[in-house]
Amino acid sequence: MRYLINIWRIAMREMKILRKNPIYLCCMLVFPLLTMLFFTSLLDEGLPQEMPVGVVDLDNTTTSRALIRRLDGFQSSHVVAHYPSVAAARHAMQENEIYGFLYIPKCTTDNLLSARRPKVSFYYSNVSIAAGSLVMKDLKTIATLGSAAVGQATMRAKGFTDEQIQTFLQPIRIDLHQVANPWSNYNMYLSTVFVPGVMMLFMFLISAYSLGMELKMERGKELLAKADGNIVVAILGKYLPQALVFLVLIFFYEFYIYNVLHFTHAGGLWTIVLLAVLQVFASIGFGIFIFGLLPSLRMSMSICSLWGVLSFSLAGSAFPVMGMDSPIQALTWLFPLRHYYMLYQITVFNGYPLIDAWFHFVALVAFTLMPWFVVHKIKNAMLTYVYIP
Amino acid sequence: MSIFHKILHWLDDAAYVWRFELRQVLRDEGVLLFCVVVPLVYPLLYSWVYNNESIHEVPVVVVDQSHSQLSRQFIRMCDASSEVHVVSYAADLDDAQSLVSRQIVKGIYLIPEDFATRVNRLQQATVSVYCDMALMLTYKAIYQTAMAVSQKMGAQIQTKLSGNYTAREDLISTSPLDVEEVAMFNPQAGYGSAVLPAVLMLIIQQTLALGIGLAAGTARERNRYGDLVPIHPSYGGVGRVVSGKALCYLMVYAIMSVYLTIVVPKLFHFIHIATWQSLLQLMIPYLLACVFFGMTVSCLVRYRENVILLVVFVSLPLLFLTGVSWPQTSIPGYLQGVSWLFPSTFGIRAYLRLNSMGASIADVSSELRCLWIQVAAYLGAACLVYGHQLRTTRQHASERLDYLRKKREVRQALKKRQ
Repeated sequence: MRYLINIWRIAMREMKILRKNPIYLCCMLVFPLLTMLFFTSLLDEGLPQEMPVGVVDLDNTTTSRALIRRLDGFQSSHVVAHYPSVAAARHAMQENEIYGFLYIPKCTTDNLLSARRPKVSFYYSNVSIAAGSLVMKDLKTIATLGSAAVGQATMRAKGFTDEQIQTFLQPIRIDLHQVANPWSNYNMYLSTVFVPGVMMLFMFLISAYSLGMELKMERGKELLAKADGNIVVAILGKYLPQALVFLVLIFFYEFYIYNVLHFTHAGGLWTIVLLAVLQVFASIGFGIFIFGLLPSLRMSMSICSLWGVLSFSLAGSAFPVMGMDSPIQALTWLFPLRHYYMLYQITVFNGYPLIDAWFHFVALVAFTLMPWFVVHKIKNAMLTYVYIP
Repeated sequence: MSIFHKILHWLDDAAYVWRFELRQVLRDEGVLLFCVVVPLVYPLLYSWVYNNESIHEVPVVVVDQSHSQLSRQFIRMCDASSEVHVVSYAADLDDAQSLVSRQIVKGIYLIPEDFATRVNRLQQATVSVYCDMALMLTYKAIYQTAMAVSQKMGAQIQTKLSGNYTAREDLISTSPLDVEEVAMFNPQAGYGSAVLPAVLMLIIQQTLALGIGLAAGTARERNRYGDLVPIHPSYGGVGRVVSGKALCYLMVYAIMSVYLTIVVPKLFHFIHIATWQSLLQLMIPYLLACVFFGMTVSCLVRYRENVILLVVFVSLPLLFLTGVSWPQTSIPGYLQGVSWLFPSTFGIRAYLRLNSMGASIADVSSELRCLWIQVAAYLGAACLVYGHQLRTTRQHASERLDYLRKKREVRQALKKRQ
């Protein structure tokens, strides 16, 4: 009971600190909200649409123009310019005007009709991978359609039925199931990992910052006195308000993406809540642990920020971990965001049972408990360390 | 004093500020970490992470309900591709799904019972592909392999059906139009080659802002009045202070940027086709803009740690605003406007086009122009904020002087009374 009263008193004291220093308001409310808004509005299209592509049409017949019109009709591509030569089109790509172009040489239609197998080419750039692959898909489809149109016309003239024509042109059809994200919506794919990643970064930093500020402002002894010298009580009380604020913030975000933007969540409500709780506690635990390891405000914050920024790459959500070298694969285990991402995609996104993500669950719990190893060092720091600017 | 002496004096002062700032950078472990260690080590780490560029042998499971020669051919051809590796066979879809759930495989190929029957009956056959959409790259690999194999097998079936005499006739009946696919820049679609150049350029801006901010924070905390500019005759004018400090960071980052933009890509064999002349023409305005940007931001921070909270989290949004991961044409207008505030937006775009797309310096002239405008704007801003800092320093100095004078007067008055 005495412990509970002490925790409550320290929590009250922490609330006062949070209210007084505007940096907490910025980092626990304003910046996270801005980040949430930024990613969800940036990726609002879901899949990039109407990306500029060019055309080099030296054939200039009704057939080639029909192809170009069809390309323009695609969702991802928008034909913005016709170029007189391949060199001019390449130059336009280097000037960032188009992402790719279709080249139809002279006499293509003539050669096509006289069965001389003309060649059309499409060029694209992978410097922006998302744009490159989408433009490539459209250009490839249009070129294949052009090829199929010839076969279709010939077979129709010979009197085949539509079903026969379709079977001949495409004997084996691929029936694609994009499980849980049939729109290949990039918003669902990126905002669900990068926004929690930024939130984790803030939680790392704020956890280290608030402990460090006790040292800097020389309040460490007072904090411990309030906890009757019990460092565990001091830490529990200190991080109670922060954990609650971050939890509310994350629940707000989850409500926004799952209820307003309708992101898929096959796992249901309880997995979302579990993940949010684990995310907050693991991040705060990690921040305290780093501070305990290096009880200096600037060093612990530097390490936390470097760790947080690295975790965006090592989470393996954009470039898969299976493609990295094995030492790096092992390194990813040390990043809470990696486990968060795995737990998210297994239980929330795909709705598979929690037992299949047990390792990542345990890892996040372990991150939560990590401060246990350094509480004595923190106590020592609070009592004896002096801040040197 | 002649004008010549004045200039010499000005230069002397600027050089003093330069030296003093450099000494501070070298003494402050926080600044040293962000301005020297991070630019040296981070690129190596990132390069190592993305070293393999693309993924191969994505594990998939096959549910073969057809058990025919044709279905086995399909599986064999998928397995033979570089992108997909068949690691397991499952009895049914539930069985296969449990393998996906346990993260053993990333996708499922389901070949239905009537697959071969339909092909032989001249009906369209279907192969179902189920992809785990948690990873876009594995989804692409699994789907594109299935597409390629189905087209290849389809062409073989077409050839059998056409009853042609020559190979040329076969070719024309299966593909009357020859289609050539050319990936012009970054031809292997390497993830590292696409992302890393942008990350390297961003590291320059972010570490500079962090370093300058931390140094400014330390200077304030060491100062008796919490001022950014110390009381010293050499810190007499805005021009001297700003140019002296800028020279210090330019000196450090001239070396760092050579390392980041030339050495690291060469070391890890990432695409690197820019000439040193064009890189020089880009890096001069980029570094200047970043330094003045950092100096402007540094005046906003009271405590040295706050700059970390302010600068670090914007890194990822800034990377997205350059158009590397998300196409520039799909970025909403107001966010494009926000992105113009940061040197990294133009710096990264220009660097990518010079370095990965072989553009000439004339092709990126609009980006260069924007960078020079930013240099001018942030130089003006830095001068303004430093002018303000100088005025507060002078005010504090004169207050202190008045206080000391008054103290002396009182002391003398007391002495007289004795």
